[in-house]
Amino acid sequence: MSSETRAAYAESIPAAKLHGAIAGLGVTHVLTVPDTHQKTLLASLAADPSMRMLTLSTEDEAIAVNAGLWIGGAEPIVVIQNVGLFAAMNALRGIGVDMRVPALLLVGQYGRDVARPVEDDPATGVRFMEPVLRAMGVASYRLDFESDIPVLETAWRRSREERRPVAVLLGAPTV
Amino acid sequence: MDRTQVLEVLAAAKGDAVSVATMRAIPDWYAAGGAPALNLDNRGCMGAAAALGLGIALARPERKVLVIDGDGSLLMQLGGLATIAGSGARNFYHFVLVNGVYETSGHQPIPAADKVDFAAMALGAGYAAAYEFDDAGVFRERLPGVLAQEGPVMVALRVEPDEERKPLPEDRPKDPAGHLRAQLAG
Repeated sequence: MSSETRAAYAESIPAAKLHGAIAGLGVTHVLTVPDTHQKTLLASLAADPSMRMLTLSTEDEAIAVNAGLWIGGAEPIVVIQNVGLFAAMNALRGIGVDMRVPALLLVGQYGRDVARPVEDDPATGVRFMEPVLRAMGVASYRLDFESDIPVLETAWRRSREERRPVAVLLGAPTV
Repeated sequence: MDRTQVLEVLAAAKGDAVSVATMRAIPDWYAAGGAPALNLDNRGCMGAAAALGLGIALARPERKVLVIDGDGSLLMQLGGLATIAGSGARNFYHFVLVNGVYETSGHQPIPAADKVDFAAMALGAGYAAAYEFDDAGVFRERLPGVLAQEGPVMVALRVEPDEERKPLPEDRPKDPAGHLRAQLAG
């Protein structure tokens, strides 16, 4: 692979591998407003009878339904895209942060140019994500390569142990 | 109708259901006896009460969930009607206090206050049933039948705006999410 064409900063990860990692967390519900980046992952999760997928109208609803499920003793995960998380900022603040509700947010960095560092990405939806999360006190991890898959468990544990939302930012479309 | 009176009727019928109350209805809901047991206050994110209640309803299908919403609040996440209908949550009961104003910010009118039909919108979104009441006596009489139905059910309650800004109850849990989670786990 030439240096001109290689995906230097993120690569597509097989959906099956991400699915396996998510299943290993004991997830009971997948809450999604569909994400282009995670199309194959969403299809894979939707076919898994061990977890229920619920498609919501908006991402702020996903944050709130996640909270209700956790309160009720379930183990949900939120699967959305970056622009949707921008739309859900008040729910992330008022419910996730202020009410101290654990949330694992798997967020596709839709529009990312994987040939550039995130910090230099021309897409504001990509470039602004981490600084905005930092400003809100929401930890985030990058999931750019297969070798990063363990961050899902790290983020999950941290969200539960610290009772806070934690985001995992997926760099390239799943395959 | 008077909101206090309506919430007293609902609290008397709550039983072992879980409630989610939002914004300016919270003080009256506590005063009526609907909280703090098996209750979640939503003050942090206007419009989120129904989604919070939906999550609880899905996690706890054996319990009824009563959401006490406001008309201005519901308009902020109106797409949630479709989400709730799509979820098929049969234990979800959505009470909307329709007073036509944003009471929390100074009684400014909601959009199309004299036109919006919340019960019709719920039916249009796919709720199993929807009702509207403007008489507290009729509401009291019909409520047991409403709660005996499978949800999701919408009940629009025409109430007068409350001019009094009541303080939040002192017995509110400091950690409402953790408090309710512990109650449900216990």
